[in-house]
Amino acid sequence: MSQLQTRFFTDNKKYSVDDVPFSIPAASEVQELSNVINKLLEAKNGSHSQIEFDFLVRGQFLRTSLSNHMEAEGISTEDVVEIEYVERFTAPQPEECMMHDDWISSVEADSEWILTGSYDKTARIWSLEGKAVMTVAGHTDVVKDVAWVRRDGLTSLLLTASLDQTILLWEWNSERNKLKARHCCRGHAGSVDTIATDPTRTKFCSGSWDKMLKIWSAVATEEEEEVEEPPSRPRKKQKTEQLGLTRTPLMTLSGHNEAVSSVLWLDSEEICSASWDHTIRLWDAETGSVKTTLTGSKVFNHISYSPLCRRLASGSTDRHVRLWDPRSKDGSLVLLSLTSHSGWVTAVKWAPSHEHQLVSGSLDNLVKLWDTRSCKTPLTRCSVWTGLTAG
Amino acid sequence: MMRLSVSRPEKLYSTPITDIRNTVGNVPMEWYQDYPHIGYNLDGKKIFKPIRNKDELDEFLDKMENPDYWRTVHDKTTASDIRLTDEQVDLVHRLQKGQFGDVNFNEYEPSVDFFTNEVMIHPVTNRPQDKRSFIPSLIEKEKVSKLVHAIKMGWIKPRKPKETTPQYYDLWAKEDPNAILGRHKMHVPAPKMRLPGHEESYNPPPEYLLTEEERLVWEQQDAEDRKLPFLPQKHSCLRAVPAFSRFIHERFERCLDLYLCPRQRKMRVNVNPEDLIPKLPKPKDLQPFPTTMSLVYRGHTSLVRSISASPTGQWLVSGSDDFTVRFWEVNTGRCMKTLEVGGAVKSVAWNPNPAVCLVAVERTVLLLNPSLGDRLVVSSTDQLITAYEPPEEDKEQAVTWALSEGLEHNMGHRLTLTHPKAVKQVVWHGKGDYLSSVMPDNSSNLQVLIHQVSKRRTQNPFRKNKGLVQCVSFHPLRPYFFVATQRYVRVYNLIKQELTKKLMTNCKWISSMAIHPGGDNLICGSYDCRLAWFDLDLSTKPYKMLRHHKKALRGVAYHRNYPLFASGADDGSVIVCHGMVYNDLLQNPLIVPVKVLKGHQITHDLGVLDVTFHPTQPWVFSSGADTTIRLFT
Repeated sequence: MSQLQTRFFTDNKKYSVDDVPFSIPAASEVQELSNVINKLLEAKNGSHSQIEFDFLVRGQFLRTSLSNHMEAEGISTEDVVEIEYVERFTAPQPEECMMHDDWISSVEADSEWILTGSYDKTARIWSLEGKAVMTVAGHTDVVKDVAWVRRDGLTSLLLTASLDQTILLWEWNSERNKLKARHCCRGHAGSVDTIATDPTRTKFCSGSWDKMLKIWSAVATEEEEEVEEPPSRPRKKQKTEQLGLTRTPLMTLSGHNEAVSSVLWLDSEEICSASWDHTIRLWDAETGSVKTTLTGSKVFNHISYSPLCRRLASGSTDRHVRLWDPRSKDGSLVLLSLTSHSGWVTAVKWAPSHEHQLVSGSLDNLVKLWDTRSCKTPLTRCSVWTGLTAG
Repeated sequence: MMRLSVSRPEKLYSTPITDIRNTVGNVPMEWYQDYPHIGYNLDGKKIFKPIRNKDELDEFLDKMENPDYWRTVHDKTTASDIRLTDEQVDLVHRLQKGQFGDVNFNEYEPSVDFFTNEVMIHPVTNRPQDKRSFIPSLIEKEKVSKLVHAIKMGWIKPRKPKETTPQYYDLWAKEDPNAILGRHKMHVPAPKMRLPGHEESYNPPPEYLLTEEERLVWEQQDAEDRKLPFLPQKHSCLRAVPAFSRFIHERFERCLDLYLCPRQRKMRVNVNPEDLIPKLPKPKDLQPFPTTMSLVYRGHTSLVRSISASPTGQWLVSGSDDFTVRFWEVNTGRCMKTLEVGGAVKSVAWNPNPAVCLVAVERTVLLLNPSLGDRLVVSSTDQLITAYEPPEEDKEQAVTWALSEGLEHNMGHRLTLTHPKAVKQVVWHGKGDYLSSVMPDNSSNLQVLIHQVSKRRTQNPFRKNKGLVQCVSFHPLRPYFFVATQRYVRVYNLIKQELTKKLMTNCKWISSMAIHPGGDNLICGSYDCRLAWFDLDLSTKPYKMLRHHKKALRGVAYHRNYPLFASGADDGSVIVCHGMVYNDLLQNPLIVPVKVLKGHQITHDLGVLDVTFHPTQPWVFSSGADTTIRLFT
């Protein structure tokens, strides 16, 4: 029963203990270490309640006993071991269940509102408590993707992309709860599967089954400045009046050989797109040319970028979540491969505030929360009630 | 040294008194014919001819009477007659005889030798010897050195002395030494003769004697088939034993065995059984291929007979026995559209031109426009279908073409082809204009029809009935048409309108057929669990027969881009194989079974009913009797 010298430290000021080396039995697991910390905190602060902690040794999460971990990592047991502890993430409990009539194709949450797109050809806006606020109807076919453009005060702009090859730009007055379609963006020759707004909120990019990406302006302009209506098509005019003025793309980016499944803006200059032709391409938004191509071996379903750690996460049809470095000049450099799903990974998303955390959703009805520092297993998982998760 | 005896010549003739030696010299005396003198003497005085008065008559008289006439000579120089003396006459006589003139000369005198064998005191010559008699010759040395140089330079080749080796004849030169040695080493002795046993005994135990039936059987058998070449006989005592009748025969057989039977030592081959297995590549080298089940498309309520993927890869159409046709979105599994068609759907096929879809329902074939995908393509297809002008003469067709309108049009129907019998399979041509439908019937020749959509024309290409047609297919590139009946696959050339090939499958009942996108290979699945791969350039027999499934095969399919093919069977599994066809026409296709995909459940003894690949990704769809369609990736 050997003992190890350890020193605990944390970023969180609330749970800091003395910076003194402690002698800990080598075979202790996470639970026992957590008890130790709790005892120390109780000794310091009487009103401390039991908290579960998670421990990191040299940036890697502790999953097995301390001695096994150190042996596996090759850390010498002679010196004092620095152990960082953080609050443990527990599995999120489902709070509210919001019902749609049909399958939900996409979700985008804001600070106050949640926007969902559905296979019943509508999109809905919900409050954070789960109350349905507005229904956005106007498409003639299934809504595949939704995105917020801008939210300032009362009016906000949102986008819906659909199987009917159009993208509608809506203006929503949250105070009066009035919705108006401003523009109908036509140009795609196949169903529009994905849209993304740029950080400056003036443009957005869409990817579709016709293998193209198109960049459009996201500014809602007034009627007179837009396309003049030819008088010879009265029926069309009526339709477009209802749906907003027709807008054509600013730029078309072509280069993919198969359908584009996911696009996002890295910054206001670069667009990243993932496609069914097993590649992720980085485009320059000014010139419209491909900057880099990262080649994988399977169809990419979804990608997400984190400016904090500058990594691109991709979900594919082969159950892995892969992390890429978009700045690498080589063809493909998979930095990390997170495997735990048993079905297609249909959605990935980085945590906006945490550098190392990302969420992935898959067709095996599970949503998993990962920390890149502990790459073997996810931190938590929660199961979703039915079928797909796609957003 | 010779001693010469010089003697003074004597005067041969005598002259008259005075010495009148003529000094004119050697001139013809005819010159002095007319002169009175004949010449001049030493003093210079003329020598007058003697008076001659002898004429011809006198000459004649002289000849007759003068006794010395015969010894008188006329001397021209002195112009006088001279009487020869006796010695002179004697000399003349001797000369005429050929003897020496001089009487005193003895020609037989003994010779005086200069060089004799007797050693004389004095040498013949006293000349001293040269130095070169004693020292080696310089000239010869030069000559020899020149010869040596020439030999060294190779200008002169010295003659080698001939080697005299004894020549003999090799008796055994023609024989192969290996054969002899081999024979000696591999000597296999003849097997020993069997020692006589109880059957040969003169008084064998009763169990060795043949019974009547056995004897009859023995007699009827051929000599080679008999176990014993004789009948065992029983004798009471040795005295009663007859002469051995088979003596010569036995010896003859033994001699044949000894020298006529070829005996060879067979080496036991030490072969690992693993070496005999052909080296196929490992499946993980042959990625990508579908490995796991990813999506299940649920929605049908009865067994799904047929599926087809759209050329873009976004949609999947399926037809089922629950009278519906469903359109699915591939990547989500969502059923986008459901169409009631009023009859069990036997076959669906998506047009290579992506907007039109075909459905075979009972007795009709429906062309549907499902309105999925690009709006422009959809509307242009509609325009194409409606922009049809009927020809001037209305020909009687086996099938009635009808344009759909109203409710059916809204649902998506565009054209309806009503057939005389139930349609089992529909298939499109690669270009998208022609299609073929199969109405299996054992007795008629109207089993296969080829239709042209743009002209709304139907043709029956066959006049004779060759058997129950199971399925048909168009060649992807060339104008060939494949018709699979129960046991054979016939290949027809559509332009020449004749039968090109008849492929002999070894199967009893073909169920399905698929053609490789390259156009040179074909696979047939049959109800007796076999999958035959034909290489059309190789032969009409199958190149390989695969028996991976345990039950009847229902569907086979090739991938358009990847070298994969799949087969679905009644055991509920789909077996995906790697089938690489090489561009150079020398290598045979490489077939490696790669994955068994399980997932379907067996319902009513039926498993997987149809298999098709995604057009671009290495994914396979399979539809089963458990009302589901599964996607494997």
